[in-house]
Amino acid sequence: MSDWNLKDQTAVCGVGHSSYGKRLNRSTIDLGGEAIRNALEDAGLKKNDLDGLIVSFGTPIGADADTLAYALGLKLRMYNQTWAHGRFTASCLQWAAMAVKAGLANYVACLASISFSGFRKPMMGGASDGEGAREGGGGHGEDPVYGMTSPGAGSALIAQKYFAKYGATSRQLGAVAVAFRKHASLNPAAMMRNPISIEDHQNSRFVCEPLRLLDYCQINDGAACVIVTTSERARDLQKSPVFISGMQGLPAGREEFIWTHPGFGVAQQSVFDYQPEPQPVYQMAGVTHADIDALFTYDAFSILVWTALERWGFCRPGEAAAFTQDGRIEVGGDLPINTHGGLISEGHIMGWNHQVEIVRQLRGECGPRQVANAQVIQWANAYGDSLIYRR
Amino acid sequence: MSNYTKPLPAISTLNGPYWDGLKQRELKMPSCNDCGKLWYPPAPFCPECWSRNFTWRQLSGRGTVNSWVVFHQAYFSSYKDDVPYNVAEVELEEGPRLLTNLVGIANEDIVMGMAVEIVYDDVTDEVTLAKFRPVK
Repeated sequence: MSDWNLKDQTAVCGVGHSSYGKRLNRSTIDLGGEAIRNALEDAGLKKNDLDGLIVSFGTPIGADADTLAYALGLKLRMYNQTWAHGRFTASCLQWAAMAVKAGLANYVACLASISFSGFRKPMMGGASDGEGAREGGGGHGEDPVYGMTSPGAGSALIAQKYFAKYGATSRQLGAVAVAFRKHASLNPAAMMRNPISIEDHQNSRFVCEPLRLLDYCQINDGAACVIVTTSERARDLQKSPVFISGMQGLPAGREEFIWTHPGFGVAQQSVFDYQPEPQPVYQMAGVTHADIDALFTYDAFSILVWTALERWGFCRPGEAAAFTQDGRIEVGGDLPINTHGGLISEGHIMGWNHQVEIVRQLRGECGPRQVANAQVIQWANAYGDSLIYRR
Repeated sequence: MSNYTKPLPAISTLNGPYWDGLKQRELKMPSCNDCGKLWYPPAPFCPECWSRNFTWRQLSGRGTVNSWVVFHQAYFSSYKDDVPYNVAEVELEEGPRLLTNLVGIANEDIVMGMAVEIVYDDVTDEVTLAKFRPVK
């Protein structure tokens, strides 16, 4: 443990992104190249400094790591990619941190680049949905044979059960969408900037009932990149380092279903009264919930914010519906969440736009949506992985 | 039957006996002869004790609705005349949960925990799906 205690040993030294939009008509390589370039510039690094690359949400939908390295003329000592599934953000950053600490690379660019408009057929759900072809329906438990397709459907299954189990309502869930849109309205990079009301949420059409259009994330084009190095190197660069203080791996197995915590009783999960045990990420970072100045979470669908809050113990099972009301998760509230607008309103860059925002918050670069005196920020997901960053 | 255009299962070495069972009007899942564990989706060994000594056990076909959704969007063109259609997760009496469609009930009448039983739906000459209807 002692030699491999990575607390504050590695840091983010640069962040960058492309423009985000519904139909940019640009390839993943084009967008990814722009994000990497911007991140290097932010760090004050040159092309040839970059010797590591980790592509999240890679082939076949996102950017292909080989093609990207080739197109950018990179000379890499270490690279990798995850398949086209969104939940590997923290995993990629963890691998990058371990790689730089172990000396496998000096500067690792971690990114996702997607161009949904680049495909003529819809890529999430329906005939081109690779998820449903996986044994057992893959991570979302899809089953196209019964018309069960798209990531949102598994979330809707959770929402329906959540509503019934705890007496929560779609109207309460609307508070999540309203908060994130409010954040996006303060963010020039966000795709959806017009404020919405609970009534707008309630009047939006069902996609997969009980989830409505405004419970869903954007489907868009864009790329976001984070550069990881050792804290020692980061201290010598132009921007203040943002340290990776704690990390917790992505769990898997029969007790896990991507959109909720164990014990919830969907897919093949057991049913039990879930209690968030002391989570290793807090212990590693040496912080408690009270130290977390803002929370960022994978919000492909609004309900995931509730299950994440409960999984990580910010509130008890069944309490997230009430917890997210009255501006508590907005900037200025007790626990601001996804201050850039999240996947729901800034854009769906697979959680990489969240990492960019976390770094900017900890540097104090967020202008009207800045969380006052942000020191410690957590990335923590319904599916159970986490990072804690500090400035 | 031959004009069935909805997605069909990828029948494999792993899940073949499951689909063969449905065709013969039997809902079967692998059950461990050593520790008694029943599992789904099919895998070639017991997730509990890793024994490869298992039997495809016939189940009752009865269960309860654990959750459900209603699709208002047709992701597959073959479903465009079916929206809004339901997909339910049924918890079988024996424990495992299956995704399915509820038949013989209007979407708005579906209730959490309602008792259901299997209906075999021969959608093609080769494939029979496991659907469920309310227990009368």
